[in-house]
Amino acid sequence: MKYLQLVWLFVGCAFTFSSSAEIQISGYGSIIAGKTLGSVDDPINLGQRRDETFTADFYDVGQYTNDLSFNTESILSVQGVYALSSQFSVTTQVVAKGVDDFTPEVDWYYATYRPTEDWTFMAGRRNIPMYYYSEFSEVGYAYPWMRPPANLYWWQITQFNGVHAMYTFNWGDTSNTITSFYGNEYSDDNKEMGFYEVLFGGKDSTRVEENWTSIAGVNWNVSGSLSESVFYDVRFVYFQHELERINHIVDADNTMLLTSQKFFGFGGSVDIPNVTVLFDFNFVTRDDVLGTEYPTYLVSLVYHYDSFHPYISYSKADSKRTEGSLPTAELEEHYISSVGIRYDFLPNIAFKAQIDRFVDQGYVPDGWNYHGDARVVSAGIDFIF
Amino acid sequence: MQDLKKRIVRSVVLICLCNVIITSVYADIAVIVHPTNNSVLDQKSIERIYMGKLKSFENGRSALPINASKGAATREEFNRLLMGRSDSQLTAFWSKLMFTGKGTPPMELATDQDILATVSANQDAIGYVDAASVTDTVKVVKIYNKGTSK
Repeated sequence: MKYLQLVWLFVGCAFTFSSSAEIQISGYGSIIAGKTLGSVDDPINLGQRRDETFTADFYDVGQYTNDLSFNTESILSVQGVYALSSQFSVTTQVVAKGVDDFTPEVDWYYATYRPTEDWTFMAGRRNIPMYYYSEFSEVGYAYPWMRPPANLYWWQITQFNGVHAMYTFNWGDTSNTITSFYGNEYSDDNKEMGFYEVLFGGKDSTRVEENWTSIAGVNWNVSGSLSESVFYDVRFVYFQHELERINHIVDADNTMLLTSQKFFGFGGSVDIPNVTVLFDFNFVTRDDVLGTEYPTYLVSLVYHYDSFHPYISYSKADSKRTEGSLPTAELEEHYISSVGIRYDFLPNIAFKAQIDRFVDQGYVPDGWNYHGDARVVSAGIDFIF
Repeated sequence: MQDLKKRIVRSVVLICLCNVIITSVYADIAVIVHPTNNSVLDQKSIERIYMGKLKSFENGRSALPINASKGAATREEFNRLLMGRSDSQLTAFWSKLMFTGKGTPPMELATDQDILATVSANQDAIGYVDAASVTDTVKVVKIYNKGTSK
């Protein structure tokens, strides 16, 4: 992995100094402040109270508490595209997130080859095209809300190193893009898994290793119009991967989880005059003896009045075990209901304000309500340049 | 109290007058291509070219869409009349493609003269200008105005 990064960095530098390279710099960012509004019974340390805690960014464990925070979701990203010819380019995104103390990281780096107008091949590090908003989940300007619904984007792996083959074509009046992808991700010290290991008292754990391998899948994106003023864009997704989790423990044998997962999804948006309907329905199955399943969905409505875009949204995440000696639907379960507004006050800057209510419906006797309820307010700007 | 009513009535009248004046200065938009481009271009195909979903003309040549610069009156009119979306909505659409490597928004040129010069010199180009600016160096596909239904 590190070898691949070094090779890519070298190639990138070579291109940077190539006199024939055409470099395009752009970027995006968000400056967001937020806080939760009260306290709850601590679902883990029974008998104690603690601040309501709202996880806005599961992957990087960006959380709001009662203390006003600018770091939980604020982000700055600079993208450089080095076009070596009309067919070949390399792209880098350097991302600095408040939750990482704004330490710049090269989060995206990939080469693109377009032999024809219909075919695109990409190789390198990119986001896994999982949920409808997964690939641009950090580009706040691209969607109406403060963030894509946090309780759907709860996976501990979001990126991978791999290859993509993308084919675009028109079918009737519809525009279509089919993308197939394959790759791997090795997370030696996974931030999210490590955080929850510590939260649940795993003091002897030094790190949690999370590896998703043989990630293979396909996306089919269809867009078109139902009438002169009704547009739609929908996307089907399927992918599968092997999952290996190793909990490294001091002076003890490591514990290990080996399984595989399948991900199904159908999401998109429909624009009718003054209103946009956004939705995403997803279903994950894990090939374990318990038959673990993760059904999730999002529904949202946005009203457009000139530069103002008020919205509401509802997202639900659930998990259940369908096999084994004790099948149960009573595991982790929660929903977020949100109301907010986006105001496009400049051509490339949007102001947003949002109120979320996170309701933890996890099974209390087994401690699956470990997030706890939370109410959060957040406000800020999203911009691109 | 009477003064307040009068002021409100005056304000409303003033706002209506301003609207009439602003409406009356909406420009007619001429969609233009190179004189040798004989492709049939209806509103839907123009929209798809500007959304990056149609990449070639009917004659087989690549389509190179050109936008007026951000804030230009012609751009606002073009977006309203042909695209049916606001500039912010279109910027949001392109931002998700730009930062996932799946598309590049149309190039931008600052003035009608720049757009006319580029379209007249490039067989792949398609652009739009204020209909009053059109010269015989380009071919007009169609003129759109606020009477043109979307």
